Amino acid sequence: MRGLLLRLEPLIWGLFGGGMFVGALLLPAWCLVAGVLLPLGLLPAAEFPILWEHLYYQLSQPLGRAVAWSAVALPLWAGAHQARHLVTDFGGLRWDGLVGGLCYAAAALGSLLAAFAVLAL
Amino acid sequence: MAEHTKIIAVTRFDPERDDAPRSQEYEVPVQEDWKVLEALNYIKDHLDPTLSHRWSCRMAVCGSCGMNVNGEPKLTCREPLSNYGERVEVAPLANFPVVRDLVVELEGFLEKLGALKPWIMLAKQRAPEEGATRQSPAELADFKQFSMCINCMLCYAACPVVANEPDFLGPAALATAHRYNLDSRDEGAAQRAEIMRGEGGVFSCSYANECAEVCPKNVDPAGAIQQAKLANVLSWARSFVVRRRAAS
Repeated sequence: MRGLLLRLEPLIWGLFGGGMFVGALLLPAWCLVAGVLLPLGLLPAAEFPILWEHLYYQLSQPLGRAVAWSAVALPLWAGAHQARHLVTDFGGLRWDGLVGGLCYAAAALGSLLAAFAVLAL
Repeated sequence: MAEHTKIIAVTRFDPERDDAPRSQEYEVPVQEDWKVLEALNYIKDHLDPTLSHRWSCRMAVCGSCGMNVNGEPKLTCREPLSNYGERVEVAPLANFPVVRDLVVELEGFLEKLGALKPWIMLAKQRAPEEGATRQSPAELADFKQFSMCINCMLCYAACPVVANEPDFLGPAALATAHRYNLDSRDEGAAQRAEIMRGEGGVFSCSYANECAEVCPKNVDPAGAIQQAKLANVLSWARSFVVRRRAAS
């Protein structure tokens, strides 16, 4: 398993990097604005108009589905990669193949479920 | 110049006599502008000639005098004693085998560095009559920061991945390899790619950034490794496109 992970490291790190960008930068900003500041009236709604109907329409389009899938799936890969490294930090490389395999399998399963979910939008 | 004393607690270890490292304290009359290295040299010259430590240039260029001072990796020739209290602990750099006292074994690092071929490689050797290879200031700026490494090993002592994974090539070696990959005169990136993305390569780095924190020359090895990761991802993806095109 560790040999396979080593061969796939560029792909895994690419997904991790994308997940960090989406999960650590874009999603928190979106959640803060759309989920907290606007509903609480801390931002003037007139200056930050979120056209929800337009958004729902976009999510039914191929590009919108891809964006929605990325917002869910990529952070899963980032989390899986960090969980794997956390275990390595504490326990060395002894279980890296097994732990990495399990972490990425969970991320892959989540990505598959996310794909079904966005297709149902 | 004003003089007072400090206790310098030095880790001593002679593998031929000692089972484990021990701490030995020296009362050293220090001057206000002394660096940690000057206190060690005083001990060696006046108090205990059996102390072993490594140093050379005394101006943060040779990279010889890296040690852990109060638990943090420092270049002792530029670390002011005045930064510390009345008791200063000096130990060998972490994550390296100890040869004796404060001297660590660098053979493992040199092997890793050599494996990454840290020199300019050309696809075809140039003849002298072809003249010098020219490089613009912008091309130099691409890698200059990463070329400032003095191999002082502070980054290896600080890196949590080096501590956990003995095969990790490490911050200085990987940053140096990336420096050559970025050099417009070099054509050896493909030869370095396999080892850089293999076992103990760039993807083992978990970006703790400790190497950049302790680097005395502001090389930012962590930044170099992140750039190298991205370059590896892109070249890996490109290899699929090229292979598919070649097959069709």
